[in-house]
Amino acid sequence: MRINQQPENQGPKLTTLIVFVVLSVLLMTVWFREGESGPLHKIQSGTHAIAAPFSSVGEFVTRPFRGFFAWAGDLGVSRTELVQLRSQNETLRKRVAQLEEARLENERLKALVDAAASQESSSVVARVIGRPTNPWEDTITIGLGTNGGVKAGMPVVGPRGLLGQTVDVAGNSARVRLLTDQRSGVAAMIQRNRAEGVLRGSIDGQLTLDFVSRETTIKAGDVVITSGMGGIYPKGLIIGEVSRVSRATNALYQDILVKGSARVGSLEEVLVLTGATAQVDQTGGE
Amino acid sequence: MKVLPTVLAVVAAALLQVMLAPSLAIGGIVPNVLFLVVTTLALAEGPVPGASAGFAAGLVYDMLGSGPIGPMALVLAVVGYLAGLLHEQMFAEGWLLPLTVLGVAALGTEMAYGLVLGLIGEGAPFWASLVTRVLPAAVYNTVLALLVYPWLARFLRRDHPMTTFRRLG
Repeated sequence: MRINQQPENQGPKLTTLIVFVVLSVLLMTVWFREGESGPLHKIQSGTHAIAAPFSSVGEFVTRPFRGFFAWAGDLGVSRTELVQLRSQNETLRKRVAQLEEARLENERLKALVDAAASQESSSVVARVIGRPTNPWEDTITIGLGTNGGVKAGMPVVGPRGLLGQTVDVAGNSARVRLLTDQRSGVAAMIQRNRAEGVLRGSIDGQLTLDFVSRETTIKAGDVVITSGMGGIYPKGLIIGEVSRVSRATNALYQDILVKGSARVGSLEEVLVLTGATAQVDQTGGE
Repeated sequence: MKVLPTVLAVVAAALLQVMLAPSLAIGGIVPNVLFLVVTTLALAEGPVPGASAGFAAGLVYDMLGSGPIGPMALVLAVVGYLAGLLHEQMFAEGWLLPLTVLGVAALGTEMAYGLVLGLIGEGAPFWASLVTRVLPAAVYNTVLALLVYPWLARFLRRDHPMTTFRRLG
């Protein structure tokens, strides 16, 4: 360890820091005051557009490694789990035969439903090309932008339900804010009894359904769908299912935790509902 | 201040933050490569390069996200400056001291970032963010610093070889 014996003049150095601090505060102030169409927002969108090809390359290169980590994690399966899995496999074989019958019937019915649905809402498939770059937000980047008919505020769904909405769209890419992001909010309801509330994301990635009256009976396993209130998301999109319900003694509302349908880590393609109203949620779903 | 290696290090960190860091996420905790570069630069070069690199890297970090521009620029400028002051007070010849500094800086950065977000109305509940974001991110960044710091410090301080990092590096 070497100790500096001669004290140096800290003045100019401190001035440099003060300049940067003032600049940062100025930037934050301007960002908040300028609105969505301001120059800083445009620069941020431009940065996303520039970063998108790099994200895409990174996503492509690291995909096999992500698969490897998942495979390595599965190596620790115990003997008991193996026996259980074999038994489960037998049961599933029988179910497959039954489901095959149902699938054929479903295909016929789906063709009819699709034909009807296409009259009201159209959609485009987009590839996931980027994942969150910091731990404080839950967003993904998709490889489709205004050139592909995507606008800010369009709902995005995955194979098993609603994922979020586009918030920042460039020519060939778009940023999607996921439901689990703490700034997300969706008008939602319980499918079984139509009890309405607001579904919110949080910093820890949990989804909560707020403002559901204590008088309504909610059970774990109840399916949660969009209610269509507010007009941002179409009605009836599956969000997930209730995982836990609790009622504090003096609270007006129930505490409802919802397990989302989507596993973002394994997502490779999503569907953007281009036929829905394009309106970015600024209110957190309220 | 050596401008070219500093700029190269920040640009490389920005690329890694976009291309590699998202795939290294564990439970939603994405490592902050820009932080690693800023603190290493600050310890190797001093407070003014530390604050300058911190401001630039923080700005890149903010622009890559969807939130407000400025919070991470502010935090990394201050962290870079403070880490740089330690460079002037004592030149680390062992690995334990800079690593401790990096650990404290990692914790300070995440806490300060959460605090700034809270002050401007973009924050999250304190305990939830402390437990699920601040502490895990600080630990993860410190562990990565253990791998990155010796190599990066050598690259940035080629005129003052850090012989005691030989074993670690």
